[in-house]
Order: sequence, then C-alpha cells, then structure tokens
Amino acid sequence: MILKSIKWRLQAWHGFLLICLVSGLMIGFYTYQQRARLQAVDNELREKLTLLLPRVAPPGGRGDGERRRRPPPDELRFDGPADFSPRERNFESGAFEATGFYYIARSQEGRRSSSTNAPQDIPFPEFKARQGTTLRTRGEFRELIHAVPTGTRVLVGTSLATALAELHQLAATLTVIGLGIVVTGSAVGWWLAVRALRPINEISNAAVKIAAGDLSKRINTSETESELGQLATVLNSTFARLETAFAQQQQFTSDAAHELRTPVSVIVTQTQSTLTRERTPQEYRETLEACQRAAQRMRRLIESLLELARFDTGQETLRRAPFDLANTARDSVELLRPLARLREIAIHGELSPCEMLGDSERLGQVVTNLLSNAINHNKEGGEIRISTRWETRTAVLTVSDNGPGITPEHLPRIFERFYRADAARTSTQGRSGLGLAISKAIVEAHGGSIDVQSRVGIGSTFTVRLPLATRPES
Amino acid sequence: MRILIVEDEPDLLKALTRALRDEDYAVDTATNGADGLFNAESTDYDAIILDVMMPQMNGWEMLERLRKKKKTPVLMLTARDQSRDRVKGLDTGADDYVVKPFDLPELLARLRALIRRTSGQTSSDLEIGKLKLDLRARKVSLDGDPVDLTAREYRLLEYLALHRGEVVSRTDLYEHLFDENDTTLSNLLEVHISNLRKKLGGDFITTRRGHGYSIE
Repeated sequence: MILKSIKWRLQAWHGFLLICLVSGLMIGFYTYQQRARLQAVDNELREKLTLLLPRVAPPGGRGDGERRRRPPPDELRFDGPADFSPRERNFESGAFEATGFYYIARSQEGRRSSSTNAPQDIPFPEFKARQGTTLRTRGEFRELIHAVPTGTRVLVGTSLATALAELHQLAATLTVIGLGIVVTGSAVGWWLAVRALRPINEISNAAVKIAAGDLSKRINTSETESELGQLATVLNSTFARLETAFAQQQQFTSDAAHELRTPVSVIVTQTQSTLTRERTPQEYRETLEACQRAAQRMRRLIESLLELARFDTGQETLRRAPFDLANTARDSVELLRPLARLREIAIHGELSPCEMLGDSERLGQVVTNLLSNAINHNKEGGEIRISTRWETRTAVLTVSDNGPGITPEHLPRIFERFYRADAARTSTQGRSGLGLAISKAIVEAHGGSIDVQSRVGIGSTFTVRLPLATRPES
Repeated sequence: MRILIVEDEPDLLKALTRALRDEDYAVDTATNGADGLFNAESTDYDAIILDVMMPQMNGWEMLERLRKKKKTPVLMLTARDQSRDRVKGLDTGADDYVVKPFDLPELLARLRALIRRTSGQTSSDLEIGKLKLDLRARKVSLDGDPVDLTAREYRLLEYLALHRGEVVSRTDLYEHLFDENDTTLSNLLEVHISNLRKKLGGDFITTRRGHGYSIE
C-alpha cells in the first residue's frame, strides 16, 4: 500500500539519490584528504632522507660507476659490527627524535646505525633493486627505504598515529555532516512532495465526495495556470456533464412516470367507482370504454418510449430504399386532411419531386407528426404550407403554420422529451409529448437535421434537411 | 355537501363525479383552471378537488388566486410525487394532497376528513342528545334505533349538525345540498325538513322565521 503511494515512492527515490550523492562526495573528499595527508608524510620522509643521505653517502657520489670506484663513506661512523650511529647527536635529536621521525641505516655488511627512537625489529625488505626508493605502510608506520648504490640501505619512518587519528576524526565529522544533509534533504524532499501532491489530494478528495453523490459540488480551481488546475478544470467539466446527464435522466424518468399516472388513475378510479354497486349495462360499457382509452394511451406512450430507447441505443435500424419524399409528404397530407377539415384548416402543398434514399415509413412518421402538430396548434381557419425541394445536394422539407407561434423561452426546448410549450397535458388528443423528440431522432438517424423558427402571433416553420448522401451503409 | 371538481382529463372527471354523487354529494365540475376559479369564487363549496396540471390556468395559480378571496378547503390531485411539489401545494394553501394514481376509498376518506375538520369536528361520530350520526357510513340512529333517511334528508341533517348552534339560511342549504344540475323547487327544502321532523321528532330542527334553520 505504502509502496504504491506516489509520495512514498518519490521520497524513496529522493532519499536513495541523496544518500548516493552525499556518500559519494564524502568518500571522495575523505579519500582526497587521506591521499594528501599521506603525500605530506611522504614528502617529509623524503626531506628527512635528503638530510640523512649526505651522511650515508658522500655528496656528489651519484653516478653508478663513481660509487663503485669510491670507498665506503666515512661520514657515518659504524660503531660496531651490527650497529652505527650518526656522528652528531645534535643532528639526530633536532631532525629526527624531536619531530617524531626515526631512521635506521644498515650497511651491506650488516652493520647498523639508528636513531634512539627507532623500533628495533623493523624488517628490511629484500628488494632486488640495487638502488631506488620504496615506500611502505607497516601497521601505523609509514616508512621510506632507500638503497644507496654502495649497498647501504637507509630507512626513514614515522608514526602515522596522529594522521590516522585526524583522518578518523575527519571521517566521523563527514559522517555526521553527511547524515545531517541526508536527513535535512529528505525532510525538504518530503515537504516538497507533500506540497506538490497536496492539490492532487484535494482534487481526489473532492472527486471522491462528488462521486459519492453530490454532483453539484466542484473542485476548487484557484490554480488554473498549473497542470493540476487544468486537470481540475477538466474534471469539473466532466462532472458538469455528468450532472446534466443525471438531471436529464431523472427528469425523463419522472416525466415518463407522470405521463403514466394519469391513465392509470383513470383506470383505477373508473373501475373502483363502478364496482361499488350494481350498474346499468350502459354504465359498465362507459367504464370499459374509458379504461380502453386510458390503456391505449399507455400503449402509445410505451411504444414511443421504446422507440426512443431503440434510437438511443442504436438498435433501431432504418430500412433505406429509394423513394420520393414528395410522395411521402402527399400521403401524410391525405391522411390528416380530414382532421384539418374538422378544424377548418387549409393545407397547401408545394411538393417538387425529391428522389432520395431513406426509410420512407419513418420519414412519413416525421411528416405526419409535424403536420398534426401544425393542425393541433393552429387556430381554427388557419393555414398550413408544406413543401419539398432540393437545395445543393440536400432534400429540404418545410411545414409552416400561421398559428400562435412558440414563445422564445420554449423554442429551444421543444425537441426535448416530454417538453410541452403549454404545461398541461392535452390528453384528449392522446399526445405523449414525445412526437418531436422521435422526429428528431429519426431525422438524425438519416444524418439530417431538424430545426424550427417561430414568431409569436405569426406562426412556426419546421425545416427538415436530409443530405443526399443518405446511402445504405452496407 | 357540495363539492367542486376541477380536472381536465374527462374520463377521470367522469369517474370522480360519479363516485362523489354515489356518496350523495352535490357535485359541480370544471375542466380548466379559469372555469374552476369562476365557480369556486361564486359558490361556497364545502370542498374543492383540484388537479394541478391543467390547460390555461394550472392548479397552483387557481389556488393562489382563490386563496385571496376564500378559505374553501382544497384537496390537490397531482401526478407529481416529488416532495417539493407537495411542499409547494401545501404552502400555496392546499389543505390536503393526493398523488395520482390514488385509491378511491382513500380519496373519499380524505375528503370527508377535510369537510369534518373545517367544521371543527374531529371524530366521524356526531352526537346530538339522543341522536347519533355516523358520518362515515352515513347512518343515523335515535336512542340506538336506526333511522331510515333518504340521501337528501341525510345530507340536510348532516349539514345542520356540522353547523350546530348556527342558523343556516335557506340559500346556504340550497348552495350546499344541490349542484348545478339540480332543478329543485324551493319548497322541496320544506318537504325534506318536514320529513326529517317526522322521523326524528319535532324538536330537533328549529325554524328561525326569516333566517333559516338550526340544530341547537
């Protein structure tokens, strides 16, 4: 769980890198210090050797040939077979003992001379070279061994104890400093990670709350400039769309229930009141007729709802075939002419041929719906004009009336399901409030569009545009 | 009791009217808010059953305009059951609220309760001396013996009993006992009163000459 948290992973990487970097630096610094220290000791050893050498080998006796020809040096007096000591005690105490250096000289014959502070059991390396200088670290001593061409070997050494102690001190200090840097760095890193991730936490907390139910809430987008601000904005717009969709869904469900309640209450009330006592056959008949009307209304509503649902889910397939839109319009006009005559409404057609591909039955449904709306919402003695024509590769059908028109507040919403310009059901005409929504679905399934223009007091015009490119998909 | 039903769905209106007339109510009807408001303002109904969704003037609007003039008890009928609609209905001045589709016996019970409450009566049994009225079953008994009354006689007695102690004018009685479809002659009221006196004994209903009738 903790490993999956971005904060912890960031912190782990940050800490790991910090430790690598700091320890690398510290180790480098320590190594450099150690080398420098050793270098200093070595240089001092060389200096001491330079001081000592004139006493072991005569000055100027550098060449091989010369050395061979020359007699053994007499500057150093070898006091016995295995021992020799410098001639001047002053030199020894000044240059060696007081400074913590020591020397041992050993001649080829095995005679030795040494400073008083020299350890006794120092092994001389058996080196093959006849001459040259070798450096070695023995325990906590640093020693320089020089072979003089005559065969005498001189060893100059000093204790490294002080230097080592100082280096240990340094190592300890570096460790403390390093740990300090790592701890501080991690803390700063943690702070930064927390700070950087806090908006993410806020966003996710807000999102959780919103997802849990309250879709009207929004994420605070005060930092709109940053990437997270953009994320929050995107999330907010998603939530807004979700909220709208939910509200529409709820509205739709509530509207559908509402539409069903009235016919159901007709059936319940009619049957309950009829059954309270004996009725005449005529009364029973009236009750049955009322129930039938209510049931038919529910049937129409359910069919419309299912039809819309099929369009919504893309299950409704259009049976496309070549047909003439003008003929379809003409059929619809003939179908509705009796209704129009009843309300003394005249229908004028300007139907020029419109051969196209499409589902003639479905499009006929659209025309019938538009026409019956035009009749039902028109005043008595009104007029309706229906026309079909071509407009740049598009079949255009218009249905206009000179009825009362639709007010601007209702106009954008009349294609919505169950939306009615007048709040009441006009149940007698058996309309469900879904006609225009279904028409829109049919037209859009053909790749076309439907829109309305209306002016209060003058009338409304519905225009359906169907693209010529309405070809069978297969 | 005279009831006004305002409902735009004709089949529902017809069924409700029949159900109420079966219960011996006098019933007037209107199919839109404007007509309903006109009726409600011009007549003193004992209760109004009002549908919310109607053409021209909806139930809310009609109720709001009615409340400026009258306190007639109103029972709202609506197809919306969201609580904010119910709250709106009650706040606007509706006295009760029934959601469609409703149960007819329940609607009738609510209507009875509404009328009873308006006259300050909380129980559905009414006792006046030896006389006992069962408002729910519309039965009357005297000293424990059932009295056989016609529907009109019962409604007349009930109305006077619910307005006990008041003098009820003849106009009032006509308004509350007969609906627009009744073509009753004025002397019929006297006939009902005299029949009631015969059945219950002469001293229950007193005549205040020039004013009307009352039950003390």
